[in-house]
Amino acid sequence: MRANRNPTMKFRLNFMEAAGAAMVLGLAIAAVFAPALAPHDPVRAVAATFGDPAPPSLAFPLGTDQLGRDVLSRIIYGARISLAVGVAAMALTLAIGVTIGLAAGFLGGAVDSLLMRFTDVMLTMPALLLAMALVTVLQPGVLTVLLVIGLVSWTQVARVVRAEALAVSRRDFVVAARALGAAPARLILRHVAPNVMPIIVVMAALGTSGTLLLDAGLSFLTLGVPPPTPSWGRMIEESTAYFRTAPWLAIFPGLAILYAVMGFNLLGHGYLRRRGRRASTL
Amino acid sequence: MAPTCAIFPRWRRLRRFRPFPIRVAAALLAALILPACHAGSAPPIFPPGAQVLQLASLDDVPTLDPAAGYDVDSWMFEQMLFDTLIRYSDAGVDLVPDLATAWTAAPDSAVFTFHLRRDARFTNGRLVTSADFKFAIERVLDPKTRSKGMEYYRGIAGAADFAAGRAKSVAGIETPDPWTIVFRLNAPDPIFPHKLAMPFAAAVPREVVARYGEDFSRHVVGSGPFMLRQWIGGQRIVLVRNPGYFVKGAPRLDGVIEAIGVSEDLQWFRFEAGAIDLSAIPPAVFPYVVKTPRLNALTMRIVTMTTRYLGMNCRMPPFTDVRVRRALNYAVNKRKLVAVINGRGIPANGVLPPSLPGYDPTLPGYPYDPARARTLLAQAGYAHGFAATLWMPADQTMMILGQSVQQDLALVGVNLRLKPVAFAPFLEAIRQPQTVPLFFSGWEADFPDPANFLEVLLSRAQWGANNDSWFYDPRFDTLLAEAAPIANPARRYAIYREAQRIAVANAPWVFLYFPVTWEIRQPWMHGLVLNPMRPARLDRVWLSAHPPAK
Repeated sequence: MRANRNPTMKFRLNFMEAAGAAMVLGLAIAAVFAPALAPHDPVRAVAATFGDPAPPSLAFPLGTDQLGRDVLSRIIYGARISLAVGVAAMALTLAIGVTIGLAAGFLGGAVDSLLMRFTDVMLTMPALLLAMALVTVLQPGVLTVLLVIGLVSWTQVARVVRAEALAVSRRDFVVAARALGAAPARLILRHVAPNVMPIIVVMAALGTSGTLLLDAGLSFLTLGVPPPTPSWGRMIEESTAYFRTAPWLAIFPGLAILYAVMGFNLLGHGYLRRRGRRASTL
Repeated sequence: MAPTCAIFPRWRRLRRFRPFPIRVAAALLAALILPACHAGSAPPIFPPGAQVLQLASLDDVPTLDPAAGYDVDSWMFEQMLFDTLIRYSDAGVDLVPDLATAWTAAPDSAVFTFHLRRDARFTNGRLVTSADFKFAIERVLDPKTRSKGMEYYRGIAGAADFAAGRAKSVAGIETPDPWTIVFRLNAPDPIFPHKLAMPFAAAVPREVVARYGEDFSRHVVGSGPFMLRQWIGGQRIVLVRNPGYFVKGAPRLDGVIEAIGVSEDLQWFRFEAGAIDLSAIPPAVFPYVVKTPRLNALTMRIVTMTTRYLGMNCRMPPFTDVRVRRALNYAVNKRKLVAVINGRGIPANGVLPPSLPGYDPTLPGYPYDPARARTLLAQAGYAHGFAATLWMPADQTMMILGQSVQQDLALVGVNLRLKPVAFAPFLEAIRQPQTVPLFFSGWEADFPDPANFLEVLLSRAQWGANNDSWFYDPRFDTLLAEAAPIANPARRYAIYREAQRIAVANAPWVFLYFPVTWEIRQPWMHGLVLNPMRPARLDRVWLSAHPPAK
């Protein structure tokens, strides 16, 4: 593995990374400890504000919705779905994207052409439309949503990883290892993959914000995790009927989505900046 | 009229499946495109200062042919263009003369005689006679016309022979002179006059139908208060005043223009700009309208002859057990449901809505009582509850209502999975046996009689058709058969009340609520009266001076 140029920098995060990490940590805490943190049951009616959402108050800091549910509790519980779907879908995205990218970049030739043309075909289809079609066909549920998001968002990862793998596999140390008789599997796993890892980390962070947004989008289109499970996208969708009289119903879950997406983006961009690269070079 | 997914049925339209985000997107897109399209529209049909009512709608009118139309949009226009023998009063469901001046029923309700007025003309100048009514009904009965109204006139003597091609005309419709028409029925049917008040039975001129055939819808000639002036498919429909209309001083409007392709949300923007005179109130602004005194003062509301229910499939466990069905009735908080739809409904005590003759105000229904629901469930062997799937038309408001029911039932241990389905497949599914255990449904009256609810929705004969809960009770069916030929309202309704009590006790549905329709009109629009069962009539509407649209 290539040594760090400056070992002392190893654990020093820059501001963007620190802020991003703190935000993501906050999100994770909200998700894991939701039952302890949420003041109320997110599914049951806790106030009699049926059809007439109540504005923020001391008892309900973010108000209650048209079914008498506490908005704050729903947002805290919503972090579970967002984080679980966002991260799991990202893991799936990476698994598919990295495998295809590494194979194409390292093996080259016909395999590369075949895999990359397939990727191009997938890229021509808008992710949201494809996801909508898939969710409609499959049974709605958490598993479906994360599976579908993973299946439609791996293309970018595959392209970036391929480019990186292509460059790395022409480097001297790989050529040297090959000359020493290392098998392709060993070359990929021991020499190419570790050197592609930084870019994968960045893709993971930036991509998670993408999957989070896609999840929120699907929920907004009522194709996400079915009720009663609280999800931010659906909270916004359900509050459209009240956008003039009770805007807070849409604003707070909107801010929650913004927060989560920003956290992961800061983490990814901060890491890139530390390594002296910009997202546009990905 | 048909099972409907409308939560807030409008005087204008049945609300169909239309996912909200797509509506918003369409509205935004249209808002960007439309102003450009409308700059410099068609040459003026009306002189400056004419009284022209501006309306807007998303979908085009399906048809203007009275034999074909069977939806709110078509009927709204058909009743402006054509006349029936009798019709409903503007605000009620009592029958009043239209082209008939008087009518008599034989004591056995099997023969009906109508006398026509002698001064009504089609807009082509010809007098309307009894032969035109006979022709109209024969046209509906003719299988070649493929009219959805056929079933309503099959009870006329000789109708079957005519439909089968064994007779040149319907023997049971007699026209002894141009101003008299007599209907003889195979069996007593006291509600037959209501069937003549449906637009299917409106007078149409034979010569015009013969000339245009299937294209009659585009070249309609009637005797109603308005005439068709222009109909550009998908764009607009323009009616002008019929100067020869037999009611003196009507209509007060010079014309009506309906712009087509305008989504509900866009209708609202146009209404706020003063460009249309009457609008439905989309859910997205309803709370705002109610809370804004200026707008609230312009709203009109009416309890429609509609019922909303949560159907339970009586042939699918656990709903085969009446205790489970009753338990669900106690477990669902109907007042909460009505509050969730911003009060646009009345909690239901049974099948029949309060505006319907024969309504039973003494029926207690099922109050909200979760403790009792739990007891009943325990008695039925479901002390720990059960899981079930609730089917519903995919619609934003339906999903909210579904979640409200989901909340309520969770409190008694019943875990619901919500299954939103597009409206057409939803209708198809609930007609299949052993398919849909639990579902949201509703019914709008065709005519104001309990039979139109009890018989259509709950009789054994309607299994696989409109009896979507697959309910069957022999005593209930016997009572329906007993009531059907009785003309005396008091006796007739007494039997139907008895039947309704059986249905409510057996609880094939969770009786949810009777919807209230809301409309909003401009301050300069006068004379509009909403009807609980039919689209509002526009012949007495007039407009006072008002500023031009912004």
